[in-house]
Amino acid sequence: MHKYVLRRVLLAVPVLVLSSLIVFSLMRVMPGDALVALMGESGNVGERELAKLRKDLGLDRPYTEQYALWLWQMVSFNPGYSIFTNEPIAVSLRKAIPVTLELAALSMVIGLVVAVPIGVLSATRQDSASDYAGRVVAVSGLSLPDFWLGTLVITFAAIWFHWIPPIGYVSFWESPWRNLQQFLLPAAVLGFRLSAATMRMTRSTVLEVLREDYVRTAWAKGLAGRMVVYKHALKNALIPVVTIVGGQLGVLLAGTVVVETIFALPGMGRLTVEAILYRDYPVVQTNVMLVAATLVTLNLVVDLTYAWLDPRIRYH
Amino acid sequence: MATVTERVVRIEEAPVVISRTRALLTALRRKPLGAASAALLVLIVFTAIFAEVLAPYDPLAPKPEIRLAAPSWEHPFGTDDIGRDVLSRVIHGARISLWVGLLAVGIGTAAGMIIGLLCGYCEGRVDLIFQRVMDAIQAIPALVLALAIVSVLRPNTTNAMIAIAMVIIPGNSRIVRGAVMSAKQNRYVEAAQAIGCRHPRIILGHILPNVTAPILVIASIWLGNAILIEATLSFLGVGTQPPTPSWGLMLSSTGRAFMEQAPWLAIFPGLAISLAVLGFNLFGDTLRDAWDPKLRRS
Amino acid sequence: MLGPHARLNRRDFVRLSAAGVSATAVLGHGRRAAAAAKYPDWIPASPKPPKRGGVLARASAWDPPVIDPRLTQSIGLFQFIGLTSNRLIRYSFPEETNNTDDVTLRPDLAESWQPSADSRVWTFKIRQGVKWHNVPPLNGRELTAADVKYCYEQYAKEGVQAFTFQEIEGMETPDKHTLRVHLKTPNTLFPQNVAESVTVIFPREVLEEDGDLKKRLIGTGPYILKEHTRKVRIVLQRNPDYYDKGRPYLDELVILSTPDSATRKAAFRTGQSEILQVASPSEVEVILKTNPSAVVQEYKDWLSPFGLALSQDKPPFNDLRVRRAISMAVDRQKHVDTLYEGHGIAGWGVPYVYYLDARPTLKDLGPWWQYRPEEAKKLMAEAGHAKGFETTLFYYEYFPQMTSQVQLVQQDLKKNLNIDVKISKLDYTTYYGRYVDSKWEGMCWGFQSGHAVGLDERTYMYMHSKSTKNFFRVNDPVIDELTTKLRRTPERAEQRTITKKIVDRELDQVLRMWMPYDSGFMIYQPHLRNMATFALRRSDGYGSPITARMWMDK
Repeated sequence: MHKYVLRRVLLAVPVLVLSSLIVFSLMRVMPGDALVALMGESGNVGERELAKLRKDLGLDRPYTEQYALWLWQMVSFNPGYSIFTNEPIAVSLRKAIPVTLELAALSMVIGLVVAVPIGVLSATRQDSASDYAGRVVAVSGLSLPDFWLGTLVITFAAIWFHWIPPIGYVSFWESPWRNLQQFLLPAAVLGFRLSAATMRMTRSTVLEVLREDYVRTAWAKGLAGRMVVYKHALKNALIPVVTIVGGQLGVLLAGTVVVETIFALPGMGRLTVEAILYRDYPVVQTNVMLVAATLVTLNLVVDLTYAWLDPRIRYH
Repeated sequence: MATVTERVVRIEEAPVVISRTRALLTALRRKPLGAASAALLVLIVFTAIFAEVLAPYDPLAPKPEIRLAAPSWEHPFGTDDIGRDVLSRVIHGARISLWVGLLAVGIGTAAGMIIGLLCGYCEGRVDLIFQRVMDAIQAIPALVLALAIVSVLRPNTTNAMIAIAMVIIPGNSRIVRGAVMSAKQNRYVEAAQAIGCRHPRIILGHILPNVTAPILVIASIWLGNAILIEATLSFLGVGTQPPTPSWGLMLSSTGRAFMEQAPWLAIFPGLAISLAVLGFNLFGDTLRDAWDPKLRRS
Repeated sequence: MLGPHARLNRRDFVRLSAAGVSATAVLGHGRRAAAAAKYPDWIPASPKPPKRGGVLARASAWDPPVIDPRLTQSIGLFQFIGLTSNRLIRYSFPEETNNTDDVTLRPDLAESWQPSADSRVWTFKIRQGVKWHNVPPLNGRELTAADVKYCYEQYAKEGVQAFTFQEIEGMETPDKHTLRVHLKTPNTLFPQNVAESVTVIFPREVLEEDGDLKKRLIGTGPYILKEHTRKVRIVLQRNPDYYDKGRPYLDELVILSTPDSATRKAAFRTGQSEILQVASPSEVEVILKTNPSAVVQEYKDWLSPFGLALSQDKPPFNDLRVRRAISMAVDRQKHVDTLYEGHGIAGWGVPYVYYLDARPTLKDLGPWWQYRPEEAKKLMAEAGHAKGFETTLFYYEYFPQMTSQVQLVQQDLKKNLNIDVKISKLDYTTYYGRYVDSKWEGMCWGFQSGHAVGLDERTYMYMHSKSTKNFFRVNDPVIDELTTKLRRTPERAEQRTITKKIVDRELDQVLRMWMPYDSGFMIYQPHLRNMATFALRRSDGYGSPITARMWMDK
């Protein structure tokens, strides 16, 4: 077991290095320049001024040098500065991460609260009307683009209820009630999509488990049906669901940009995507590496849990 | 995004194509949702193929005098911001969306399958290296990766598809790899190896058929996702180019911009996207139900 | 419409009718014009005594990338630095005029200014008793001429203002409140250049202590920067020591970073935002349905900042006939009538106030700007392109109507001239970088500053062949000569004549192919007073100093 753990941990390192290489290369190959975008319709981007700025930022050094420098910054947890805003990236991250984490956490809660009961219901009443209804609702949650759902929500909240979340993010510690108001709608939008995926997974794993022999035996013995389901089936069925939720966390961490834009939340999603659109290399590279490292770690943890649960896998 | 499971996917013991098809047809007959989704897909494919015939107007011909006209007999879905017929654009949009989905998923699946087969069959160093690369790509958030790739290549529909394909490949390769490794332990394969069958024969003859089932299921779900990702890329400004009538572009640009003055600009492409994604997802469900009777996956 | 309209005096009523009449003349379509003229472009100041106090919050599309005015001219910064900082010279405030065409230069930090006989030396008398904000390291000390000198020297040294300030040969401060500026060449329009919204005066101490202006923003303006949280909000607090005693009225201004347009509309509807800009009359109607007492102001354009930029230093666009043909093949009136719902302008490049008494109509632009596809075809054939050709057009979608315009132009060119245009919709950075690089081929939906008010900038700096801001690649010796001559002409009437000649030349040679445009409308919450938005000086943008004159009747 120890060998397996060691092996998996060691293998995570080259994965991260490879990711970093991919991101670095992609950013450098992109056309356009953060410095030029910064000047903002000034119409005066003299070559001399640009060259000086580039030199100050170290952008005229050969790529290998830039890459090595950046890797060193990553490893020493000293990410440097944004080209566009000149803010230390560590500061930007410290401000953006709590926003996205809170959004992700609330979305997951909403998603699970909605999804698991519906999933179980669907499974226990397979092929009934409520199963179909549940499945269609779930899939429709997957089939509307985020930006559309978000736009509908914000627009009709204003028109019908004369209320939208108070714009201007405040952290939970500053003002809990205002903060929760701000996160309610965006978390609901994200949660809806999350619940769709989770509901289907819950349904299928519960269905699976319900067919297990031990469950059939319990039914046959006439034990109160619900007891069987809740005690045995649900417990086993939820393990893969937890996996899925873990996976969704990764998707959430990355895919919040649309909701953050529409609901004016200054999270990681907006930070990263806006940095890509403005070619703010250091910010993109650092953010992506952070998320990548998180995902790799998450995967690692899940893999190790599986190996612990199922000895066969260790020997692959 | 899809709940792609990459753990062990159960496959059938006996690779028989005929029984596979029969199982599917039975499932379609038995489950109305499955049949409905299949019908929906047929409708979309039909629309895509016969778009020129079905569309009453040229989807690219502007008539600005009648812009933002509400649905009427002449224009059942109304007209858009420069007076083009929305119905015709939605019809042609089927072709674009299918194209987006098929190419993205096609490339992603094919490439993923090849890599997965290689890794699963050969194991050893090849497996180690390729899987690390796949892990590395997968560690990068999907939207960020797609956005970066499209920004590097020029933003247009084809490049958006390539970007989406890149996102799909790692997951696919891992599923195929898992399936291949499972299959290798299969008696048939052992026996084939014992009697000296050559590698390609083993792969093609025994392993590949076992792998296609889970791949097709995943592919059908990714078809829907590809359409959604393309719509989001258009929303961020780097997707399909105007005047291409892609549903995603229609929804994210004119649909949102004129949402209150002309809601039909969003309703119809939105409905089209939803139905298409719904159809693909439900069909994928049906495939899975049909081909994995024990429904064992973890 | 309630509120300010009820207090219209006769003069304003006449003005409004005149506006309505001229709008009809411009557009020539009675019904549409009536709709477009429904909203006034001028809302008279309230006769009531202003109330002090209140917080004005506004949902803004822009977030400042940096707060260093040497490094950017982004609207994200200038939407509020005009409130924390002053310039030497400014343009009129709402209560100082009664129409949006006013280009009177007014004293800001400079009480007066005098040219030498040859307009090469300008002497500015700096206002006495102006204090920097009472925050360290300035601690409310008095502004001197030396401060302004330092500022202009820094602008000339590096950054986006360099071209303007490198005109300066040297400066001296004979006393604490006099600044004498020596220019390299005569320029009678120099005051206009220092009146541009972007030439704000910043403190030497901050630059010397910090090494840059990215961390602290201190000025002499009516508001002090209290909070700047990136991508969230900017909070400005009233400066109690502002030189204009009694002003500003509002206690606090808050700018909320709201990148999505649907969210900004929702914020206005629910009262979280006081000011909203929308693009078209139909959008105004939609807002008025939920907020019937909101006040609408038409935002009238002096020019169109966007046009079809051609790589006219290369074939085929270096051929005058090709340019004229393309210009005649585009139906501009249709853009105005349909895309802009009758409200836009046909498009020209120099603010008309400098050479005309009334806005030009499409007819006034001359023969090469009318929709005459047959003539266009003939001209193209003469130029040897009867079969048309292929080319590309890249753009960035600044607003949705632009995409509609680009596609209409594509169709027009294909239908009338058999020119195959391949459209590339780019993201902002790619578009901007490529455009200002001036090495692109084919066509581009290009721009020329959306905020420069002054004549010098609009002629010499954008059209002279040697200028670095000449993105349309104008290279015409007549223009070079005329724009240089303009800078040497002190007499107002003669300035008008020369400017007209410049514009006539531009129109005749189709040196910059301007396209229809519309700035849309500003919508205000009913309790706001003294709001105004002037051409090229949106109160929520480069015209931010206007916000310091507003008050709330609550």
